Order: sequence, then structure tokens, then C-alpha cells
Amino acid sequence: MIVNLFFYFFSFILIVSALMTILSQNSIYSVLFLVLSFVSSSSILFLLECEYISLIFIIIYVGAIAVLFLFVVMMLDVKTVYLAKDSLKYFPFGSFIGIVFLIEIALIIPTTFESANPYNVSFLWNCYFDWFNKLDYFTEVMSIGHLLYTDYIIQFLLSGNILLLATVGPVTLVLIRSTKPTKTQVTFKQLSRTYSSVLHI
Amino acid sequence: MLIFKEIQLLPEIFLGISIIYLIIHGTFISVNNKYLLIQNSILYLSILIIAMFCFLLLNNSIEYNNFQIFNNTIILDYLSFSSKAWIALISIFCFLMVQRYLAVQKINYFEYSVLILFALLGIFFICSSNDLITAYLSIELQSLSFYIMAAMKKDSAFSADAGLKYFILGAFSSSLFLFGSSILYGVSGTTNFEDLKNLFFLTYLEYESIYGVDNYSFVKHVFIDGGLIQFALVFIFVSLLFKLAVAPFHLWSLDIYEGSPSSSTFFFAVVPKLAIFILIIRIFYSSFFEYSIKWRYYIVVVAMLTVIVGSFGGLEQKKLKSLLAYSSISHMGYTLIAFSTGTFEGMQSMLCYLFLYMIAGLCIWSIFLLLQLKYKYSKKQNKDLTDLNLLSKSNNILALFFSTVLLSIAGLPPMVGFLVKIGIFLVSIEASMYFVAILSILCSVISTFYYIRIVKIMYFENSVAGKLYYPIQSNISILVVCLFYFLLFLFVNPTLIYLFSYKITLLLTMTVV
Repeated sequence: MIVNLFFYFFSFILIVSALMTILSQNSIYSVLFLVLSFVSSSSILFLLECEYISLIFIIIYVGAIAVLFLFVVMMLDVKTVYLAKDSLKYFPFGSFIGIVFLIEIALIIPTTFESANPYNVSFLWNCYFDWFNKLDYFTEVMSIGHLLYTDYIIQFLLSGNILLLATVGPVTLVLIRSTKPTKTQVTFKQLSRTYSSVLHI
Repeated sequence: MLIFKEIQLLPEIFLGISIIYLIIHGTFISVNNKYLLIQNSILYLSILIIAMFCFLLLNNSIEYNNFQIFNNTIILDYLSFSSKAWIALISIFCFLMVQRYLAVQKINYFEYSVLILFALLGIFFICSSNDLITAYLSIELQSLSFYIMAAMKKDSAFSADAGLKYFILGAFSSSLFLFGSSILYGVSGTTNFEDLKNLFFLTYLEYESIYGVDNYSFVKHVFIDGGLIQFALVFIFVSLLFKLAVAPFHLWSLDIYEGSPSSSTFFFAVVPKLAIFILIIRIFYSSFFEYSIKWRYYIVVVAMLTVIVGSFGGLEQKKLKSLLAYSSISHMGYTLIAFSTGTFEGMQSMLCYLFLYMIAGLCIWSIFLLLQLKYKYSKKQNKDLTDLNLLSKSNNILALFFSTVLLSIAGLPPMVGFLVKIGIFLVSIEASMYFVAILSILCSVISTFYYIRIVKIMYFENSVAGKLYYPIQSNISILVVCLFYFLLFLFVNPTLIYLFSYKITLLLTMTVV
């Protein structure tokens, strides 16, 4: 029941934000509405238990493409805002986010690194499996991660190498390493040279 | 966690880790304002790394057992082992030849050798990939570094143009590969070559014509749609032909070979072809051998077109580089003819031809790179044919070597090029492809014209003065002499290369059947 309500809620937001993307006059607002529509559509996917696709949706569309749009839009509208002044204003918010992450790490670490029985790894260890939990609570992201880090580790490393190459290559192509400054004539120096100051015997 | 069996991939892992160390090392040295020129030292370091790679590879105790590791995505058999060793050896030679050229052209970026190492890592993974995903990723690694290498000469507009063209066309061909493999995955539910082989080994395409449908009505339910698989295979095949620069898809290669710096062209022409052919063998010969009745025809058509284009296109060329590009296109055509027979001898002569193609390409391109024109101001790199005018007067031995290698490529008897070429013709006649054999022999005669024209320009031109060249370093000239000797020696003792390729083919077919 509650899932249905959430579905209607998010789809309503999706439709409204998609409309507002087209209708709003300010282009920055329209990009922000686009981001909102991405977020709401990914939460609909989340309700349909496609966690991985929804996460990818957020990471790729919101994290990369919409931000790119935003950059372009902001470059078009020339408005100088001095961000350095009000960095103090963002300090409480930033520290709040940092504290949240710290709490998350503090919650995760003690549960993950429990000191285990050394016989635990061997197959002689009689352990109790809750098969229902094993089967049903195995999320998509977990299964993809399991596959990626065990069976397809070489492919994972290869794609990491490709990413490294994709960062090294363009930097190499764009980087201009000129050690020698260009030889231009400084007029003042030239005029202030006199016969007596040049010759040394 | 590496299981004991999977430590067999140690050479590649060593190469990957050492690339990262090389990047860190180079970056820390060259970030200063007054940076040092570490081009040469990094070049020698990468030669050392490749030599260590060879050492680790040769120390693999199980060299021709058919091992499949990492969830059957990596295959380690004698084919991958020998091709990796061969490519590593050739690339060491390439590194040594390139060094002087880079210094003269002022390509003083340490990243250049790192990019070559990246490409080699990709090539080694192509050689041992047993999975469509691995094959795709390694092809991408190899070709991404090639795009950057093509655009590496920053002050030249041609080079940037070549890099962009290579990038766009390479991305296009990669997308074709992905499309084909996604269809293949959709039909069969697997991307593994071994699984594909097991699935399709006894499939008949036109089962209705072979069996009566009424007797074997289960066939329709069990067997998979053959037409869709052929559709996918065509896409994969076309994308691999793009990478090989074979006739209907060869147009990029001329521009890119011409525009990119000669040291990069050297690599594009010589090193990656063998690896792509190994991938073709793995997909078409090992996994989809049952479909050979079908794919034979379009390989034959493509091969004939390639041979014709390669031998007729070279006639008009005035630049040495694009002439060599056409010559490499026609060689790929001959290799595809041998592949299209699908027989044991065909595989063997194809591997022979590829090994020899690499040696001959190494010879030609190294002589091409070593001829530095004595211009004071312009660093001219795209040599016209007339630049070789009367080379025999200015550098007699080099002219002799150059003409010998050219005649070997053309297929004249006292060199080994004759033996491998006649091997291909004999194989195609044995497979009763008479028309193909006759046409390719005629085209080979035509292509001899432009090789001999270079020899004529070097020796018998009616002009008073030719161009002057810088002398070649003595240690490099020893290498050139060794390569030249190798071409003559293999004619006297061709058993060396025949036995090598025979062993590879034997072990390959043993695993197929």
C-alpha cells in the first residue's frame, strides 16, 4: 500500500519536474528540475527493486551529465559570485555531512571486522545458515559486486587500466611543457642600454 | 586471491603494475618547472620491463597445457604463449629503432613509451582472451593508446587530424563489436568462447535440409536460431576487419598512417595485427568452426577485394608511407586467404605468413625511420619516393638491405618471403580455391611493380645528385644487419618457422577437437 503511495508521489514529482524543465524561464532552474526528474525516476526504479540501475542512473545522469549541463549553462550566464566569502556559511553543513559519514564508518567497522573463529573458514565448521536471508536479502548491487570482485577481477582491473589511460592520455596531449620563455623585446630594457653599461673591459 | 594455477598470469600482472610505477616515476621527475628530459631513460626502462615480461613468460612451466583461468575468461595455451613471446620480442626491436627518431622529432614526452606499454598490455590480453568481454576490454585498451600515439606530435596538424580520425573510426568499429557480442549473448546466454564452442559444435545451420523435420522435430526446439548468430558474427567480423584495415574497411589506414608520426605508424603497422588474427582464430576457428561453411564465403570475398585493392592502390602512391600502408593491406589479404581455407595447413601457413610479415615490417619500417634526411631546418618526416633517389651512392649497404627486404616482401626466391607466399597459394589450391589462387598470384605480380620501382629509384635513376642522410648509430645498425640476416637465413632453413607454426596449429586443433 505504502509502496503504491510512494510510486504515485514520485511519478507526480517526475511529471511536474519534467514539465518545469521545459516551462521555466531560467535555464539553471530548468537544469535543476532535470536533476529532480532524474532523481525521482531513479527512486521509482528503486521501488521496483532495481537498485543497481537506479544507483547508476543517479551516478551517471545526475553526477556526470546534469553537472556537465549545469557547467555549460553557468558558463553561458556570466555572473560573478564570490564563493570564497561565504565559505564560513557552509562550514556547519559541511561538518554535519562529515559527522554523518564518520558515524556510518563507526557503525560499519565493528560489525565487519569481528574476530572470527579460525575454524570458521574450514568446511568442517558446522554453521547455521538462514537460507531465506541468504536468498532473499541478496541485493542486486551485492551480487554484482560479488561477481565483479571474484570471477571478473581481471576484467575489472583491465577497465581500471583503461580509465587510467583515459586520464593520462588527454593530459599528455593537452599539457604544454615549455621551459624557455618566449623571446620578446622589453622596450624599457632596450632603451636603457647605453654604451658604457654594456661594455666591460 | 590468486589461486596457484592463476599465478600463470604473472607476466601481465607484472607489466600492469610496472606501467603504474613508470607513470608515478615519470610524473614525479617531470612536474618541476625545470624538468629533466627522461624520454631515453624511460624508453630503456620499458625495454627492460618487456624483457622481464619475456623472462617471466618463458619461465611459465606449463607452456602448452590448455589452461583456462579466472572463471574461464583467460586462456593460456601454446598459441597465446608463443604469440605473446613473439610480440614482446618484436616490440623490443621497435623500441630500439624508435629512440633516435623521437629525439630528432622532439617528441620528448615520457608518456610515449608508457602508452606503448599500455598498448602492449592490451595486445597481450587479446592474445589470451577467452571471453567476449575480455576481448572487448583489451581491444579498447590497445586502441585507446593507439589513438593517443597517433596524435602525439603536437605541433603538427596532420597528427591531430590522424588521432581524431582514428578515434572516431575506432569507436565505430568497437561499437559494432559490442553490438555483435550483445546479440550473441542474447542468443546463447554466454560470452565465453569455450561455452560457445560446446554449444555450437554440433549445430547444423540448415537442419531442415539435412534431416527431415518430421523425424527430428525436437531439433527445432533444442537448436538455436542460426540466422541471428550469423548476423552477430558478421558484426564481430566486420569490427575486427576494421582493426586489421582490410579492403572495404581500409580507408582510414592510409590517412592515419600518413598523418601520425612515423614511430607510431611503425607500431600500428607491425605489432597489433597478429593479436587481432589470434582473436579471429579463437572466435571463428575455435568457437564457430561449425559455421565455417557460412563464414568462409565472406572471408574469401573480403580477402580477394583486399588483395586487389592493396596491389592496385599502391601503384599511384608517391609517398613511401602510404605505399607501405597499401603493401600491409595486401599482406592482410593474403593472410585472410590462408585463413579462409579453414584447413590445418591453412592455419599453419597463415601463422607463418604473419610471423614473417612482422619481421619484414620491422625491417622496412626501421630502415624507413633510420633514414634521417639532412635538412637543416625542416624536420621532414613524410618521405617522398624521390627522397630515396640514388640511395645506393650515398649509403650503399642500406640501399642493398632495403631492396632485399622489398624483394622479400614481393616474394622473390632468395628470400623467405617467397616461401611463405607460395605456401599460401599452395594451400588455397589444395582447398580447391583455384580461382582465388590464380587471382591472388596475378595481383602479387602487379604489386611487385611498386616494390621494384623503389629499387629502381634507389639504384638506376638518371640524376646527378641524391639526398644526403645522417649516418646511423653503430649499435642500431647491428640490429638491422641481424634482421636482414634473419630474412636470408630463414630461406636456407625454413624448418625453424615451419616447425614453430606447425606446433602451434597442432596444439590448437587438438584443443578444438
